[in-house]
Amino acid sequence: MSHNWNYVVAGYAIVTASLAGYGVWLRVKLRRARRSLPEESGD
Amino acid sequence: MSFLREAALVAGKDLRVERRSRVALQQIVPFAAIVVLLLAFALDSDSTLLPRAAPGLFWAAIFLATLLAVGRSFGIEEANRARDGLRMSGLDGGSIFVGKAAAVAVELFLLEVVVGIAVVVLYDVTVRGVLILLLAAVAATIALAATGTVYGVLAGGLRARETLVPLLVLPAVMPVMLGATRAFQAAIDNSPSDAWPWVQLLAVFAVLVVAAGVVAFGPLLEET
Amino acid sequence: MTLKRGFLALTLLALGATAVLALWVTPPRENEGWDAVRLLYLHVPCAWIAYLAFGITAVASLLYLVPRTRHPSWDLLAGASAEVGVIFTALMLIVGSLWGRPTWGTWWAWDARLTTTAIMFFLYLGYLALRRSGATVAERGKRCAIAALIAFADVPIVHFSVTWWQTLHQQGTVFNPKLDVQIDGSMAFTLVLAVAAFTMLYGYFVMERFELAQLEEGREERELQLAIAERVRAERREQVVPA
Repeated sequence: MSHNWNYVVAGYAIVTASLAGYGVWLRVKLRRARRSLPEESGD
Repeated sequence: MSFLREAALVAGKDLRVERRSRVALQQIVPFAAIVVLLLAFALDSDSTLLPRAAPGLFWAAIFLATLLAVGRSFGIEEANRARDGLRMSGLDGGSIFVGKAAAVAVELFLLEVVVGIAVVVLYDVTVRGVLILLLAAVAATIALAATGTVYGVLAGGLRARETLVPLLVLPAVMPVMLGATRAFQAAIDNSPSDAWPWVQLLAVFAVLVVAAGVVAFGPLLEET
Repeated sequence: MTLKRGFLALTLLALGATAVLALWVTPPRENEGWDAVRLLYLHVPCAWIAYLAFGITAVASLLYLVPRTRHPSWDLLAGASAEVGVIFTALMLIVGSLWGRPTWGTWWAWDARLTTTAIMFFLYLGYLALRRSGATVAERGKRCAIAALIAFADVPIVHFSVTWWQTLHQQGTVFNPKLDVQIDGSMAFTLVLAVAAFTMLYGYFVMERFELAQLEEGREERELQLAIAERVRAERREQVVPA
Protein backbone atom coordinates (compact mmCIF):
# COMPACT_ATOMS: atom_id res chain seq x y z
CA MET A 1 0.00 0.00 0.00
CA SER A 2 1.48 3.30 -0.91
CA HIS A 3 -0.78 5.78 0.79
CA ASN A 4 0.20 9.30 1.30
CA TRP A 5 2.89 9.47 -1.30
CA ASN A 6 1.65 12.89 -2.30
CA TYR A 7 2.56 14.19 1.15
CA VAL A 8 5.97 12.61 0.93
CA VAL A 9 6.61 13.98 -2.53
CA ALA A 10 5.39 17.41 -1.49
CA GLY A 11 7.64 17.37 1.56
CA TYR A 12 10.76 16.24 -0.25
CA ALA A 13 10.09 18.65 -3.10
CA ILE A 14 9.67 21.63 -0.78
CA VAL A 15 12.77 20.80 1.22
CA THR A 16 14.91 20.17 -1.83
CA ALA A 17 13.70 23.29 -3.60
CA SER A 18 14.18 25.50 -0.56
CA LEU A 19 17.64 24.28 0.34
CA ALA A 20 18.82 24.23 -3.26
CA GLY A 21 17.37 27.68 -3.76
CA TYR A 22 19.16 29.00 -0.69
CA GLY A 23 22.40 27.42 -1.88
CA VAL A 24 22.08 29.01 -5.29
CA TRP A 25 21.22 32.39 -3.77
CA LEU A 26 24.33 32.20 -1.60
CA ARG A 27 26.49 31.30 -4.58
CA VAL A 28 25.18 34.20 -6.64
CA LYS A 29 25.56 36.75 -3.84
CA LEU A 30 29.05 35.54 -3.06
CA ARG A 31 30.15 35.76 -6.65
CA ARG A 32 28.90 39.35 -6.85
CA ALA A 33 30.48 40.30 -3.56
CA ARG A 34 33.86 38.80 -4.47
CA ARG A 35 33.79 40.58 -7.82
CA SER A 36 33.24 43.95 -6.22
CA LEU A 37 36.34 43.64 -4.04
CA PRO A 38 38.38 46.77 -4.79
CA GLU A 39 41.82 46.63 -6.37
CA GLU A 40 44.25 47.91 -3.78
CA SER A 41 44.82 51.28 -5.45
CA GLY A 42 44.89 53.34 -2.28
CA ASP A 43 43.60 56.88 -2.01
CA MET B 1 20.99 59.04 45.01
CA SER B 2 19.71 55.59 45.81
CA PHE B 3 18.61 53.19 43.11
CA LEU B 4 14.93 53.46 43.99
CA ARG B 5 15.05 57.23 44.25
CA GLU B 6 16.53 57.42 40.78
CA ALA B 7 13.94 55.02 39.43
CA ALA B 8 11.16 57.02 41.05
CA LEU B 9 12.61 60.15 39.47
CA VAL B 10 12.48 58.63 36.00
CA ALA B 11 9.03 57.13 36.55
CA GLY B 12 7.81 60.45 37.81
CA LYS B 13 9.17 62.20 34.75
CA ASP B 14 7.42 59.79 32.39
CA LEU B 15 4.15 60.00 34.26
CA ARG B 16 4.33 63.78 34.36
CA VAL B 17 4.83 63.84 30.60
CA GLU B 18 1.76 61.66 30.33
CA ARG B 19 -0.23 63.87 32.64
CA ARG B 20 0.56 66.89 30.50
CA SER B 21 0.20 65.28 27.08
CA ARG B 22 -2.57 62.87 27.99
CA VAL B 23 -1.61 60.57 25.15
CA ALA B 24 -2.31 57.37 27.04
CA LEU B 25 -5.64 58.69 28.26
CA GLN B 26 -6.82 60.06 24.96
CA GLN B 27 -5.35 57.54 22.57
CA ILE B 28 -4.30 54.28 24.20
CA VAL B 29 -7.38 53.79 26.37
CA PRO B 30 -9.77 54.33 23.46
CA PHE B 31 -7.59 52.05 21.35
CA ALA B 32 -7.95 49.26 23.88
CA ALA B 33 -11.67 49.85 24.13
CA ILE B 34 -12.01 49.67 20.37
CA VAL B 35 -10.10 46.39 20.36
CA VAL B 36 -12.63 45.02 22.85
CA LEU B 37 -15.41 46.03 20.46
CA LEU B 38 -13.48 44.71 17.48
CA LEU B 39 -13.15 41.30 19.05
CA ALA B 40 -16.85 41.22 19.81
CA PHE B 41 -17.55 41.98 16.16
CA ALA B 42 -15.05 39.34 15.13
CA LEU B 43 -16.71 36.71 17.27
CA ASP B 44 -20.17 37.59 16.09
CA SER B 45 -21.19 38.90 19.53
CA ASP B 46 -22.05 35.31 20.27
CA SER B 47 -23.59 35.36 23.69
CA THR B 48 -22.06 32.08 24.75
CA LEU B 49 -18.64 32.46 23.18
CA LEU B 50 -17.71 35.91 24.45
CA PRO B 51 -17.87 35.25 28.19
CA ARG B 52 -15.97 32.02 27.72
CA ALA B 53 -13.28 33.72 25.70
CA ALA B 54 -13.25 36.81 27.91
CA PRO B 55 -9.90 36.28 29.69
CA GLY B 56 -8.10 35.77 26.38
CA LEU B 57 -9.81 38.69 24.71
CA PHE B 58 -9.09 40.92 27.68
CA TRP B 59 -5.40 40.13 27.60
CA ALA B 60 -5.26 40.37 23.80
CA ALA B 61 -6.48 43.96 24.09
CA ILE B 62 -3.99 44.68 26.87
CA PHE B 63 -1.08 43.16 24.95
CA LEU B 64 -1.82 45.32 21.93
CA ALA B 65 -2.16 48.38 24.10
CA THR B 66 1.18 47.54 25.72
CA LEU B 67 2.85 47.86 22.34
CA LEU B 68 1.46 51.36 22.04
CA ALA B 69 2.42 52.27 25.59
CA VAL B 70 6.00 51.08 25.09
CA GLY B 71 6.20 52.85 21.77
CA ARG B 72 5.11 56.02 23.51
CA SER B 73 7.53 55.50 26.39
CA PHE B 74 10.41 55.58 23.96
CA GLY B 75 8.81 58.00 21.57
CA ILE B 76 9.08 60.75 24.15
CA GLU B 77 12.82 60.15 24.34
CA GLU B 78 13.26 60.86 20.65
CA ALA B 79 12.23 64.50 20.84
CA ASN B 80 14.66 67.23 21.86
CA ARG B 81 17.50 64.71 22.14
CA ALA B 82 16.01 63.58 25.41
CA ARG B 83 17.79 60.27 24.94
CA ASP B 84 21.17 62.02 25.10
CA GLY B 85 19.96 63.82 28.19
CA LEU B 86 19.10 60.50 29.76
CA ARG B 87 22.51 59.12 28.92
CA MET B 88 24.39 62.06 30.32
CA SER B 89 22.23 62.42 33.39
CA GLY B 90 24.52 60.15 35.34
CA LEU B 91 21.63 58.01 36.40
CA ASP B 92 22.28 54.31 36.64
CA GLY B 93 20.98 52.38 33.61
CA GLY B 94 19.21 49.89 35.82
CA SER B 95 17.28 52.58 37.66
CA ILE B 96 16.26 54.26 34.41
CA PHE B 97 14.97 50.88 33.31
CA VAL B 98 12.96 50.34 36.49
CA GLY B 99 11.60 53.86 36.29
CA LYS B 100 10.47 53.62 32.68
CA ALA B 101 9.05 50.14 33.10
CA ALA B 102 7.23 51.21 36.26
CA ALA B 103 5.64 54.14 34.46
CA VAL B 104 4.44 51.85 31.68
CA ALA B 105 3.17 49.38 34.28
CA VAL B 106 1.18 52.08 36.09
CA GLU B 107 -0.43 53.12 32.83
CA LEU B 108 -1.22 49.50 32.04
CA PHE B 109 -2.78 48.90 35.47
CA LEU B 110 -5.13 51.83 35.01
CA LEU B 111 -5.87 50.60 31.50
CA GLU B 112 -6.67 47.14 32.83
CA VAL B 113 -9.25 48.56 35.19
CA VAL B 114 -10.99 50.34 32.35
CA VAL B 115 -10.76 47.43 29.92
CA GLY B 116 -11.79 45.05 32.67
CA ILE B 117 -14.98 46.97 33.23
CA ALA B 118 -15.61 47.08 29.50
CA VAL B 119 -15.12 43.33 29.19
CA VAL B 120 -17.34 42.53 32.15
CA VAL B 121 -20.08 44.73 30.78
CA LEU B 122 -19.84 43.94 27.08
CA TYR B 123 -19.01 40.24 27.27
CA ASP B 124 -21.33 39.52 30.16
CA VAL B 125 -18.79 38.06 32.54
CA THR B 126 -19.28 37.24 36.19
CA VAL B 127 -16.18 38.10 38.12
CA ARG B 128 -14.99 35.91 40.95
CA GLY B 129 -11.70 35.25 42.67
CA VAL B 130 -10.76 38.92 42.69
CA LEU B 131 -7.63 38.44 44.78
CA ILE B 132 -6.13 35.93 42.38
CA LEU B 133 -7.13 38.14 39.47
CA LEU B 134 -5.25 41.02 41.03
CA LEU B 135 -2.14 38.96 41.75
CA ALA B 136 -2.09 37.54 38.24
CA ALA B 137 -2.67 40.98 36.76
CA VAL B 138 0.14 42.53 38.78
CA ALA B 139 2.65 39.84 37.78
CA ALA B 140 1.57 39.85 34.15
CA THR B 141 1.63 43.63 33.91
CA ILE B 142 5.11 43.88 35.37
CA ALA B 143 6.28 41.16 32.98
CA LEU B 144 4.75 42.97 30.02
CA ALA B 145 6.03 46.41 30.94
CA ALA B 146 9.53 45.10 31.62
CA THR B 147 9.77 43.09 28.39
CA GLY B 148 8.47 46.00 26.38
CA THR B 149 10.96 48.36 27.99
CA VAL B 150 13.88 46.03 27.26
CA TYR B 151 12.99 45.75 23.61
CA GLY B 152 12.11 49.41 23.47
CA VAL B 153 15.62 50.46 24.39
CA LEU B 154 17.09 47.66 22.30
CA ALA B 155 15.44 49.03 19.20
CA GLY B 156 15.77 52.63 20.33
CA GLY B 157 17.02 55.12 17.78
CA LEU B 158 16.42 52.75 14.90
CA ARG B 159 14.30 54.03 12.09
CA ALA B 160 12.33 50.78 12.08
CA ARG B 161 11.73 50.96 15.84
CA GLU B 162 7.95 51.27 15.59
CA THR B 163 7.53 48.10 13.57
CA LEU B 164 10.41 46.18 15.10
CA VAL B 165 9.34 46.43 18.73
CA PRO B 166 5.96 44.70 18.26
CA LEU B 167 7.59 41.92 16.22
CA LEU B 168 10.20 41.44 18.92
CA VAL B 169 7.95 41.74 21.97
CA LEU B 170 4.98 39.58 21.10
CA PRO B 171 6.70 36.22 20.57
CA ALA B 172 8.74 36.79 23.70
CA VAL B 173 5.71 37.38 25.94
CA MET B 174 3.73 34.33 24.88
CA PRO B 175 4.23 32.66 28.27
CA VAL B 176 2.67 35.75 29.86
CA MET B 177 -0.35 35.44 27.63
CA LEU B 178 -0.72 31.80 28.57
CA GLY B 179 -0.25 32.39 32.27
CA ALA B 180 -2.47 35.44 32.50
CA THR B 181 -5.39 33.96 30.59
CA ARG B 182 -5.24 30.61 32.38
CA ALA B 183 -5.05 32.34 35.74
CA PHE B 184 -7.98 34.59 34.91
CA GLN B 185 -9.97 31.65 33.63
CA ALA B 186 -9.34 29.66 36.77
CA ALA B 187 -10.30 32.63 38.93
CA ILE B 188 -13.55 33.16 37.06
CA ASP B 189 -14.31 29.44 37.20
CA ASN B 190 -13.95 29.78 40.96
CA SER B 191 -10.99 27.41 41.29
CA PRO B 192 -8.19 29.67 42.53
CA SER B 193 -5.95 26.70 43.28
CA ASP B 194 -5.71 26.10 39.54
CA ALA B 195 -4.72 29.70 39.01
CA TRP B 196 -1.92 29.65 41.55
CA PRO B 197 0.70 27.79 39.44
CA TRP B 198 0.11 30.21 36.59
CA VAL B 199 0.56 33.16 38.91
CA GLN B 200 3.87 31.65 39.96
CA LEU B 201 4.92 31.28 36.33
CA LEU B 202 4.05 34.92 35.73
CA ALA B 203 6.00 35.97 38.81
CA VAL B 204 9.09 34.02 37.75
CA PHE B 205 8.91 35.47 34.25
CA ALA B 206 8.55 38.97 35.67
CA VAL B 207 11.54 38.53 37.95
CA LEU B 208 13.71 37.19 35.12
CA VAL B 209 12.80 39.99 32.74
CA VAL B 210 13.30 42.72 35.35
CA ALA B 211 16.70 41.25 36.22
CA ALA B 212 17.67 41.13 32.55
CA GLY B 213 16.49 44.68 32.07
CA VAL B 214 18.39 46.08 35.02
CA VAL B 215 21.58 44.55 33.66
CA ALA B 216 21.12 45.25 29.98
CA PHE B 217 19.43 48.65 29.88
CA GLY B 218 22.51 50.74 30.61
CA PRO B 219 24.73 49.18 27.94
CA LEU B 220 21.88 49.25 25.44
CA LEU B 221 21.21 52.92 26.12
CA GLU B 222 24.86 53.68 25.37
CA GLU B 223 24.56 51.87 22.06
CA THR B 224 21.70 53.79 20.59
CA MET C 1 38.96 26.19 -2.34
CA THR C 2 39.05 22.53 -3.23
CA LEU C 3 38.54 21.62 0.40
CA LYS C 4 35.21 23.38 0.41
CA ARG C 5 34.32 21.84 -2.94
CA GLY C 6 35.16 18.44 -1.60
CA PHE C 7 33.08 19.03 1.48
CA LEU C 8 30.12 20.13 -0.62
CA ALA C 9 30.46 17.04 -2.80
CA LEU C 10 30.53 14.82 0.25
CA THR C 11 27.50 16.60 1.68
CA LEU C 12 25.52 16.18 -1.52
CA LEU C 13 26.52 12.53 -1.61
CA ALA C 14 25.30 12.01 1.94
CA LEU C 15 22.05 13.80 1.17
CA GLY C 16 21.56 11.73 -1.96
CA ALA C 17 22.17 8.51 -0.09
CA THR C 18 19.70 9.61 2.56
CA ALA C 19 17.07 10.29 -0.07
CA VAL C 20 17.55 6.89 -1.67
CA LEU C 21 17.35 5.11 1.64
CA ALA C 22 14.45 7.19 2.86
CA LEU C 23 12.37 6.89 -0.25
CA TRP C 24 13.11 3.36 -1.40
CA VAL C 25 14.98 1.15 0.98
CA THR C 26 13.19 1.77 4.25
CA PRO C 27 9.75 0.30 4.81
CA PRO C 28 6.53 2.24 5.41
CA ARG C 29 4.95 2.17 8.85
CA GLU C 30 1.70 0.31 9.08
CA ASN C 31 -1.04 2.05 11.06
CA GLU C 32 1.11 5.13 11.41
CA GLY C 33 0.79 7.00 8.19
CA TRP C 34 2.34 4.34 5.94
CA ASP C 35 4.72 6.13 3.62
CA ALA C 36 4.29 9.43 5.41
CA VAL C 37 6.84 8.22 7.92
CA ARG C 38 9.47 8.93 5.26
CA LEU C 39 8.95 12.59 6.04
CA LEU C 40 10.43 12.02 9.46
CA TYR C 41 13.83 11.52 7.84
CA LEU C 42 13.53 15.17 6.93
CA HIS C 43 11.67 16.48 9.96
CA VAL C 44 13.93 15.14 12.69
CA PRO C 45 17.18 16.42 11.12
CA CYS C 46 15.59 19.84 10.53
CA ALA C 47 14.63 19.99 14.20
CA TRP C 48 18.13 19.05 15.31
CA ILE C 49 19.72 21.61 12.99
CA ALA C 50 17.37 24.35 14.17
CA TYR C 51 18.40 23.84 17.80
CA LEU C 52 22.05 23.51 16.85
CA ALA C 53 21.92 26.68 14.77
CA PHE C 54 20.25 28.78 17.45
CA GLY C 55 22.56 27.35 20.06
CA ILE C 56 25.54 28.49 18.05
CA THR C 57 23.92 31.88 17.58
CA ALA C 58 23.58 32.16 21.34
CA VAL C 59 27.18 31.14 22.01
CA ALA C 60 28.52 33.48 19.32
CA SER C 61 26.38 36.31 20.71
CA LEU C 62 27.71 35.72 24.20
CA LEU C 63 31.28 35.71 22.93
CA TYR C 64 30.63 39.00 21.20
CA LEU C 65 29.17 40.59 24.32
CA VAL C 66 31.99 39.58 26.63
CA PRO C 67 34.61 42.33 26.19
CA ARG C 68 37.55 39.96 26.43
CA THR C 69 36.37 37.83 23.51
CA ARG C 70 34.64 40.54 21.49
CA HIS C 71 35.34 40.29 17.77
CA PRO C 72 33.14 41.24 14.83
CA SER C 73 33.35 37.71 13.46
CA TRP C 74 31.19 36.48 16.33
CA ASP C 75 28.41 38.81 15.30
CA LEU C 76 28.69 37.65 11.69
CA LEU C 77 28.61 34.02 12.77
CA ALA C 78 25.60 34.60 14.98
CA GLY C 79 23.72 36.12 12.08
CA ALA C 80 24.71 33.45 9.58
CA SER C 81 23.77 30.64 11.90
CA ALA C 82 20.45 32.25 12.77
CA GLU C 83 19.52 32.71 9.14
CA VAL C 84 20.17 29.05 8.38
CA GLY C 85 18.37 28.14 11.59
CA VAL C 86 15.26 30.04 10.59
CA ILE C 87 15.18 28.27 7.24
CA PHE C 88 15.41 24.88 8.88
CA THR C 89 12.79 25.85 11.47
CA ALA C 90 10.39 26.79 8.70
CA LEU C 91 11.07 23.52 6.91
CA MET C 92 10.62 21.66 10.17
CA LEU C 93 7.18 23.18 10.62
CA ILE C 94 6.15 22.53 7.02
CA VAL C 95 7.36 18.94 6.92
CA GLY C 96 5.93 18.29 10.36
CA SER C 97 2.59 19.52 9.15
CA LEU C 98 2.77 17.36 6.03
CA TRP C 99 3.61 14.39 8.22
CA GLY C 100 0.90 15.11 10.76
CA ARG C 101 -1.96 15.35 8.32
CA PRO C 102 -1.93 11.76 7.08
CA THR C 103 -0.68 10.32 10.36
CA TRP C 104 -2.85 12.12 12.90
CA GLY C 105 -5.46 13.70 10.70
CA THR C 106 -4.63 17.33 11.42
CA TRP C 107 -2.32 19.85 9.84
CA TRP C 108 -1.58 21.33 13.24
CA ALA C 109 -1.90 20.59 16.93
CA TRP C 110 -1.27 22.84 19.89
CA ASP C 111 1.13 20.55 21.64
CA ALA C 112 4.23 21.84 23.35
CA ARG C 113 6.78 20.93 20.70
CA LEU C 114 4.92 22.43 17.76
CA THR C 115 3.75 25.56 19.55
CA THR C 116 7.20 26.25 20.92
CA THR C 117 8.71 25.76 17.48
CA ALA C 118 6.27 28.23 15.97
CA ILE C 119 7.13 30.83 18.59
CA MET C 120 10.83 30.13 18.21
CA PHE C 121 10.43 30.76 14.48
CA PHE C 122 8.97 34.20 15.13
CA LEU C 123 11.52 35.04 17.80
CA TYR C 124 14.37 34.52 15.36
CA LEU C 125 12.54 36.09 12.47
CA GLY C 126 12.43 39.20 14.64
CA TYR C 127 16.13 38.77 15.37
CA LEU C 128 16.88 38.68 11.63
CA ALA C 129 14.77 41.82 11.12
CA LEU C 130 16.73 43.50 13.89
CA ARG C 131 20.01 42.57 12.21
CA ARG C 132 18.97 44.35 9.07
CA SER C 133 18.55 47.58 11.01
CA GLY C 134 22.29 48.12 11.31
CA ALA C 135 24.68 47.98 8.40
CA THR C 136 27.89 47.39 10.31
CA VAL C 137 28.81 45.21 13.24
CA ALA C 138 29.51 48.26 15.37
CA GLU C 139 26.01 49.55 14.84
CA ARG C 140 24.10 46.38 15.53
CA GLY C 141 26.44 44.10 17.43
CA LYS C 142 25.37 44.60 21.02
CA ARG C 143 21.65 44.92 20.39
CA CYS C 144 21.48 41.80 18.27
CA ALA C 145 23.60 39.82 20.69
CA ILE C 146 21.27 40.66 23.57
CA ALA C 147 18.19 39.96 21.44
CA ALA C 148 19.64 36.56 20.52
CA LEU C 149 20.29 35.69 24.14
CA ILE C 150 16.81 36.75 25.20
CA ALA C 151 15.33 34.62 22.41
CA PHE C 152 17.46 31.66 23.44
CA ALA C 153 16.43 31.96 27.07
CA ASP C 154 12.78 32.40 26.16
CA VAL C 155 12.46 29.15 24.20
CA PRO C 156 12.65 26.80 27.20
CA ILE C 157 10.28 29.05 29.15
CA VAL C 158 7.80 28.93 26.31
CA HIS C 159 8.18 25.17 26.06
CA PHE C 160 7.64 24.78 29.78
CA SER C 161 4.53 26.91 29.91
CA VAL C 162 2.98 25.31 26.85
CA THR C 163 3.70 21.82 28.22
CA TRP C 164 1.86 22.81 31.36
CA TRP C 165 -0.97 24.23 29.36
CA GLN C 166 -1.32 21.04 27.36
CA THR C 167 -1.17 18.68 30.32
CA LEU C 168 -4.15 20.57 31.67
CA HIS C 169 -5.99 19.86 28.46
CA GLN C 170 -4.83 16.28 28.71
CA GLN C 171 -3.93 15.90 25.09
CA GLY C 172 -4.12 12.17 24.52
CA THR C 173 -2.36 11.76 21.23
CA VAL C 174 1.13 13.08 21.15
CA PHE C 175 1.53 14.83 17.84
CA ASN C 176 5.18 14.17 18.15
CA PRO C 177 7.51 12.54 15.75
CA LYS C 178 9.26 10.70 18.52
CA LEU C 179 10.49 7.44 17.21
CA ASP C 180 9.52 4.62 19.53
CA VAL C 181 11.93 1.93 20.59
CA GLN C 182 11.20 -0.78 18.06
CA ILE C 183 12.21 0.76 14.79
CA ASP C 184 13.53 -1.19 11.91
CA GLY C 185 17.33 -1.24 11.66
CA SER C 186 17.34 0.43 8.28
CA MET C 187 15.15 3.24 9.64
CA ALA C 188 17.52 3.97 12.48
CA PHE C 189 20.49 4.00 10.15
CA THR C 190 18.74 6.27 7.67
CA LEU C 191 17.80 8.65 10.43
CA VAL C 192 21.37 8.88 11.67
CA LEU C 193 22.63 9.34 8.14
CA ALA C 194 20.03 12.04 7.55
CA VAL C 195 21.08 13.92 10.67
CA ALA C 196 24.73 13.67 9.64
CA ALA C 197 24.01 14.80 6.09
CA PHE C 198 21.92 17.75 7.23
CA THR C 199 24.54 18.75 9.74
CA MET C 200 27.11 18.83 6.98
CA LEU C 201 24.76 20.93 4.88
CA TYR C 202 24.28 23.29 7.81
CA GLY C 203 28.02 23.62 8.14
CA TYR C 204 28.40 24.37 4.46
CA PHE C 205 25.63 26.95 4.47
CA VAL C 206 26.99 28.71 7.54
CA MET C 207 30.49 28.85 6.06
CA GLU C 208 29.18 30.41 2.86
CA ARG C 209 26.83 32.77 4.63
CA PHE C 210 29.58 33.81 7.00
CA GLU C 211 31.91 34.62 4.12
CA LEU C 212 29.16 36.58 2.45
CA ALA C 213 28.59 38.53 5.65
CA GLN C 214 32.30 39.24 5.94
CA LEU C 215 32.46 40.58 2.40
CA GLU C 216 29.38 42.71 2.91
CA GLU C 217 30.74 44.01 6.20
CA GLY C 218 33.99 44.88 4.45
CA ARG C 219 32.10 46.71 1.75
CA GLU C 220 30.09 48.68 4.31
CA GLU C 221 33.27 49.66 6.10
CA ARG C 222 34.90 50.73 2.82
CA GLU C 223 31.88 52.76 1.76
CA LEU C 224 31.88 54.41 5.17
CA GLN C 225 35.57 55.30 4.81
CA LEU C 226 34.98 56.58 1.30
CA ALA C 227 32.10 58.75 2.45
CA ILE C 228 34.18 60.16 5.28
CA ALA C 229 37.15 60.80 3.00
CA GLU C 230 34.91 62.54 0.47
CA ARG C 231 33.46 64.71 3.21
CA VAL C 232 36.89 65.70 4.45
CA ARG C 233 37.97 66.58 0.94
CA ALA C 234 34.89 68.71 0.36
CA GLU C 235 35.49 70.61 3.58
CA ARG C 236 39.11 71.24 2.67
CA ARG C 237 38.04 72.65 -0.67
CA GLU C 238 35.64 75.02 1.05
CA GLN C 239 38.40 76.25 3.32
CA VAL C 240 40.72 77.11 0.40
CA VAL C 241 38.24 79.11 -1.69
CA PRO C 242 37.04 82.01 0.57
CA ALA C 243 40.50 83.50 1.24
